[in-house]
Amino acid sequence: MRPGPVDPITLSTIWNSFQSMGREMRYVIDRTAQNYLIAQLHDMAAGIWDAQARTIAVPEGPTSMFLSQQFSVEYILDKFGDDLHPGDVIICNDPYKGYCNHLPDWGFFRPIFYEDELVFVALTRGHQMDTGGSFPGGYFPNGYDIHAEGLMIPPTKIYDRGRERTDVLELIWNNVRWPDGVKIDNYALMAALQVCDNRIVTLLDKYGVPTVKDAVEEMLDRMEANVRAQLAEVPDGTYYGESATDDDGTVLDELVWVRCAATIKGDELILDFSESDAQRKGFVNCVYSSTYSRAVAGSFLYFDPAYSEFHNEGSMRPITVVAPEGSVCNAQYPATVGGSPVNVGTQVLEATVNALSKAMPDKAIAGWGRRRGHYIAGVDPRTGERYVQTTTDADGGSGAVWGYDGFEGAMGMSGLGSIQRGSVEEIEIRFPWRAVRYHYVPDMSGAGRWRGGSGMLWEVENVGGDVGVATGSSDGDLTQPPGAVGGEDGPLSRMYVRRGDEIIPARTHRMVQIKSGEILGKVSGGGGGVGDPTERDPDKVLEDVRNEWVTPSHARSVYKVAIDTETMTVDRDQTRMLRSSTGETETET
Amino acid sequence: MYRIAVDVGGTFTDCLVLDEQTGDLRQFKSPTTPPDPSIGCIDALAKAATAYGLALPAFLERVTLLIHGTTLATNTLINEDGARTGMITTRHFRDMLEIRRGYKNVRTSMYNVFVPPYKPLIPRRLRLEAEERVLYTGEVHKPLNEDEVREAARQLGREGIESVAIGFLHAYANTAHERRAAEIVEEELGEDVYVTTSSQILPVWREWERFSTMAVSAYTGPAVKRYLLALEDRLAENGFAGSLMMMLSDGLVETVENCIPRAVYLIGSGPAAAPAAAVHLGSETGHKNLLSFDMGGTSIDIGVVMRGEIPTTTEGWVQDERVAIKMVDIVSAGAGGGSIAWVDSLGLLRVGPNSAGGDPGPACYAKGGTAPTVTDADLVLGYIDPDFFLGGEIPLDPGLAVSAIVDKVADPLGMTVEQAAEAIMTAVSSFTADEINEMATRRGIDVRDLTLVAGGGAGPAHAAFIADILGLPHVIVPSVASTYSAFGMFAMDVGRNYARSYITRFADLDTDRVQALYEEMEQEAITGFGEMGYRAEDVSFARTADLRYIGQFHEVEVEMPLDPGQDLSETAEKTFRASVFRDAGGMQMLDAVEEAIDNFHAKHYDLYTFNMPWQGVELLTFRLRATVPKAPFELHRIPEGGPDPSAALKSHRDCWFGGERVPTPIFDGGRLKAGNQVVGPAIIEEPTTTVVVPGSFTATVDAQRSYHLNRDGAVGEPTGGTT
Repeated sequence: MRPGPVDPITLSTIWNSFQSMGREMRYVIDRTAQNYLIAQLHDMAAGIWDAQARTIAVPEGPTSMFLSQQFSVEYILDKFGDDLHPGDVIICNDPYKGYCNHLPDWGFFRPIFYEDELVFVALTRGHQMDTGGSFPGGYFPNGYDIHAEGLMIPPTKIYDRGRERTDVLELIWNNVRWPDGVKIDNYALMAALQVCDNRIVTLLDKYGVPTVKDAVEEMLDRMEANVRAQLAEVPDGTYYGESATDDDGTVLDELVWVRCAATIKGDELILDFSESDAQRKGFVNCVYSSTYSRAVAGSFLYFDPAYSEFHNEGSMRPITVVAPEGSVCNAQYPATVGGSPVNVGTQVLEATVNALSKAMPDKAIAGWGRRRGHYIAGVDPRTGERYVQTTTDADGGSGAVWGYDGFEGAMGMSGLGSIQRGSVEEIEIRFPWRAVRYHYVPDMSGAGRWRGGSGMLWEVENVGGDVGVATGSSDGDLTQPPGAVGGEDGPLSRMYVRRGDEIIPARTHRMVQIKSGEILGKVSGGGGGVGDPTERDPDKVLEDVRNEWVTPSHARSVYKVAIDTETMTVDRDQTRMLRSSTGETETET
Repeated sequence: MYRIAVDVGGTFTDCLVLDEQTGDLRQFKSPTTPPDPSIGCIDALAKAATAYGLALPAFLERVTLLIHGTTLATNTLINEDGARTGMITTRHFRDMLEIRRGYKNVRTSMYNVFVPPYKPLIPRRLRLEAEERVLYTGEVHKPLNEDEVREAARQLGREGIESVAIGFLHAYANTAHERRAAEIVEEELGEDVYVTTSSQILPVWREWERFSTMAVSAYTGPAVKRYLLALEDRLAENGFAGSLMMMLSDGLVETVENCIPRAVYLIGSGPAAAPAAAVHLGSETGHKNLLSFDMGGTSIDIGVVMRGEIPTTTEGWVQDERVAIKMVDIVSAGAGGGSIAWVDSLGLLRVGPNSAGGDPGPACYAKGGTAPTVTDADLVLGYIDPDFFLGGEIPLDPGLAVSAIVDKVADPLGMTVEQAAEAIMTAVSSFTADEINEMATRRGIDVRDLTLVAGGGAGPAHAAFIADILGLPHVIVPSVASTYSAFGMFAMDVGRNYARSYITRFADLDTDRVQALYEEMEQEAITGFGEMGYRAEDVSFARTADLRYIGQFHEVEVEMPLDPGQDLSETAEKTFRASVFRDAGGMQMLDAVEEAIDNFHAKHYDLYTFNMPWQGVELLTFRLRATVPKAPFELHRIPEGGPDPSAALKSHRDCWFGGERVPTPIFDGGRLKAGNQVVGPAIIEEPTTTVVVPGSFTATVDAQRSYHLNRDGAVGEPTGGTT
C-alpha cells in the first residue's frame, strides 16, 4: 500500500470518527422523534458529505434516503453559493428540484464551517407522518400529478445563521396534518445535525483542517482501490436481472418491470436500467437519484463484508448507473413518485442483486419478503384525537444468501435491516387497535439450499371507530421476491378484512373501510431462497420441520426429504429415492 | 476481622482483602476454574489465608463480609452453554423472541448480509402457547386457560427442559396470569425446574424487551443457581459464617437467595463494580466527574460518572440478546493487553477485537503465540520489565515480541520495530479514546470535563496516553488497579432497584396512584431488607421516573424528589439523594412530579441539544432505588515523604517515547511516600501493574497510594470537577 500523507493511525481514527458521527445522529433522532415510522421503525438516515459534495460517511439508514445525496448536496451548494453560513439549516424533499426520493422523506442539510470555511455538509432525513396531499402518510395512489402527493419543498433555508425562520417553518407546518407532531420530528432531525456539527468541530480542533482533508482523500482513494480490485476479479461480461411490482396503483394488476443489465468491464461496473418499463401514470416512479441509491446499495452487498461499514464516494466511483429519461427508473416531472420506495424502488435493488448474483454465484443473494404496509387514518375514541397508524410488523423475512439462511425477523430489503418492526404493547397503548395474532407461518419462505427468512401472519382488531385504510405501501399480491442460483422465489402475500366469519380480500393499492370490531389481517411471504432446495442438508430440513418452519409435506414435495413424523427423524432411504428421482443424489448427510 | 471482594473474571479470579482494623488492602490472583468456578474462588481465598499465616477455616471465620462478582451469567450466554429452556406465552404470540423487532445490524453493518441468522435462546418448538389475554390497562380480556398451561408444561417436561420462562402480553399491568401459570408449571414439573416469569424479572412494558430479558434469565438461571449453591456450600464447609453478597449488574449488591430466581441481574456482575471504584477514588480528591476505565487482557470497560452518581442504562445488549433491566452503563470494547495488532488489506493498522487471551497469550509469554499484541508492544517500548510482569510470576521473552511485531506490523508498514510498537500503542489508545468519546457524547457529556480513573492490569500503562489524546488533564491510577472491580465492590451500596409501569399523560395523572406505586415498592424494599436483617430506618430511597414528550417513543429517566420544594440548586446538584428514610405519606406528590418535569426538560436539553417546553409530558415507568449504607471503610494511609521520590528509585531502563530512546527512571511503587512527585518520563512498578508516566505528565502519590498523573500546564481541576 502506498504511503499516504496521513499516518495510518490518524487516518483510522478520523475514519472511525465520521462513521460514529453518522450512527450518533441516528441515535439522537431515534431518542427524540415522535412518529412511529422514525422513532420505532427507524425510517430515517443520516450522513456526511464534504464541501465538494462527495459522500464521506453513510453508515446506516434506508438506502433511498441518503445513498444518492451527493446530488442533493451539490445542488444545494450551487444554489446557495456564497449565501451559506454557520448555523444555516436547509430543508428539502423535492424529487425534481433536490434529488429526493418521495415527498414524506424530509431532508435537513446543515453546512458545517470551521473558521469561516465550509468543510462538510451533514444530512438527516426522516419519513414524516404527513406531508400534505390527498391522504395521510404519502402512500396514496391516483394523484393527478406530484402536486397532489403533498407539499414540495425545494432547498429552503429554515435556519439562517443560527436564527430560526419561524415564518417559513410555519408555512410548511400549516400545510401538513398533525403539525405539532411534525414539528417535534423536525426539531429531532435538526438536533442531530447540531450534534454532528459539534463533533466535526471537535475533530477539526484536534487534527486541523489539512490533516482531516488529507484523511478524507485517503478514505475515498482506499475504498475506490478496494472496490476496483474486487471488481477486477469478477469475469467480464453482462449479466441480466429483473423483478416486477404488482402494479402502479392506478392501472391495477398490470405488472411493472425493472430490468438491470450489469456489465463488468475490468474494474468498472455499469448498471443499466434502460430495458425497464416506461414511466407510469401511477405513483411508483423512481427519479434517477432513487434508482441510483438502490443500485449502488445492491452492489455494495457483493464487496468484502470486512469493509462494509466504510463505503463512501470512493466505492461509488467505479459504478455507473444508467437510466434513460422517461423510464420508470428515471421519471420526469410531474410524475407521481409516492409509492416508489416500496414499488419499483425495491425492484431496482432486486433486479441489481438478481443480475449480480449471476455474475458472482458464490455470493448469491435472494430478494427479501415484500413490504406489507398500510396507512390507517382515524380518530382515537380515548382521546378524541386524529391519528395515522402504519407499521412494518407484517413484512416478510429477509432473503437467503450463499452460505446462510435468511435472517429471521429482519425486514425490508431497501432498508437492509436498518428499519425495525413495532411493538405489540406500544401499538395497543398508542392506537385503538388490539393485536390478535403475530407469528411466523410454516412454508412461507422461499425454499433453497439456504431458505429465506419466514413470512408472518399478523392480525389486528379495530377497537376504535370506523376507519379508512390505504393499502398503498404494499407489494407482493402478484409478484415475488426473486430467489437466486436455483433457490425459489419468496411466496406471494395477501391481505384481508375479517368481518365476523367472513373474510374479505383486500388488495394492495386500494382503500378499504374497517369498522369497529373488524380485523385487518395480513399473511406475508418471506424471503427468496438460494441454491437448489433438493441440495439442502436433510438434517436442516428436519430441524425446520421440528420447529414448524416447514411442514412435512412441503419437506417432501419441495426439499425432497422424507420425514418420519412419528419419530421425528429423516427417512434416509426414502429421501435418497426422492432426491434421485429428480436426478439429484443426496449431497450431504 | 476481614472484608473480602472476590471477582471471578474470564482468566483470573481476583481477591482483595481489607483488614478492617488497619485498612490494609492486599491483592491475590488465582486462575479461574471452569466448569466450577467456586473452586477457583476457594483457591484464591486459600492463597489469601496463607499470606495472612492462617489456615483457610481460621481465615474465613474472621471474614465478616464477602462480596462476590462473577462473569458466570455473561459467560454462559457468550459460550452458549445455558440451560435447555422452554417458554409458555400468550396464544398467537410465540414468535416475539425470534421476530425481535427485526433487529439485524446489532453487531454488523447494514451492507453486510453474509451473517448467520440470529439463533434464539429458546428454539421455536420449545415456545408453547396458552390462551389468555391481558390488556394494557391490566383488565383481563381472556381468562387464563389453565389446562393449556398444564399441557404445555407436560410437553416441555417430555422435552427434558431444565428451565421454563413464562411471558404474557401486558403482564407488567397484571401479573396474575403469569403467577398462576408459574404455580401450575411448578406443580407439573417439580422444584428441580427453574421457573421465571417476565413480570418477576422486569415488570415494564414492551413485550420483546421484557421477554428477551426474561429468556436470558431463564437460560442462565440454572447455571447461576448451581454455582451459587455450590459456592455457599464450599464456603460453609470451610468455616465461613459471615454474609455473602452478590454484585449485581445494576451496581448494587444482593443476597444469594434473592439472586437465584433473577439470574439476569448477574449479567455484567464484576465489571459493573468499576465505576463505584472510580467514585470512591475520586472522592478522596474531590473529583466527581469521572471516566472509569478498566483495561484487562481482552477488553476495556468504560463508564462515565457525573456528579459522583453511578450511571445506569436500560438500553443494553449482551451479545445478540437485548437485556432491558437497569444495568450500570458500561461500554465494553475489544481492546486489552492481549489484543492482536494486524494490518488490514486497506493498509490500516488495526488492534483487536481478536485477543491472544491468556493462552497462548502475547508472543512474549513464549507459550506458542506468534501474533503481536499490545503487551508485546509495551515490552518492546521498555514500559514493562520482562522479569517483573505480574511481580515476576510470568517471565517474558522480548525477542519473541520483537519478531512478532517485525513480521506482522513493522515489515508490512515499512517501519522499525520500535516505530511499529509505538504505532500499536497509539492505535490501541486512539481506538479506546474514540470509544470513550462516542460513549460520552451519546450521554451529552464533554469528555474534557472528566478525570480518568484507570484500572485493570493494562490500564495504568496506557491511561496517560489516552488522556493526552482526549485532552484530559488528570488521571488517577490506584495501587489496586489490577483488582479494580473487586475494589469497587467494597465501595458499593447494598440495595435493589424497583420499577412499575403506569402510563399516563401529566394532564391525566392520578397522583394518588403514583404515591401508591412508590409506597408499594418501598414496602417491598423494607420487607426485603428486613429479611436481610436491616431495620426500616436504615433503608434510603431515591425515586426516579421515566418521562417523555407526548408522542415520543423513548423516555428519559429523571429524579423525582422525595421532598419537593427543597432548593437543590444551591448545592449545585440537581441530583436528589434521600439520605434518611422519611414518611412518604407526608409528600406532596404533585410538586414532586412537577419538579421531575423540570428535570426532564433540562436533561432532554443536555442529552439532545434541545427541549420542547411547549409540548405536554407523559409519564411511563416509576422507579425506586432502595439502599442501605455500605459499612464505612478507611484505607491504610502511607507516610508523608515530601516531593522527592528518589528513595524509591530502583533503576534506569531505556524506553521509547515519541520516537526517541529515553533513559527512564524506574520507581518501586511500594517504596513511594505520600506527596512524592514523579516527573515523567518515568515508570512506576507495582507488583501487579505498571504505571507509565509520559514526558508531559507528573505523578503525585496520595496518602492511599493512588497516583495522580497531571498533565503539565494543566491549570487547576477539570471544569466542574469539584464541589
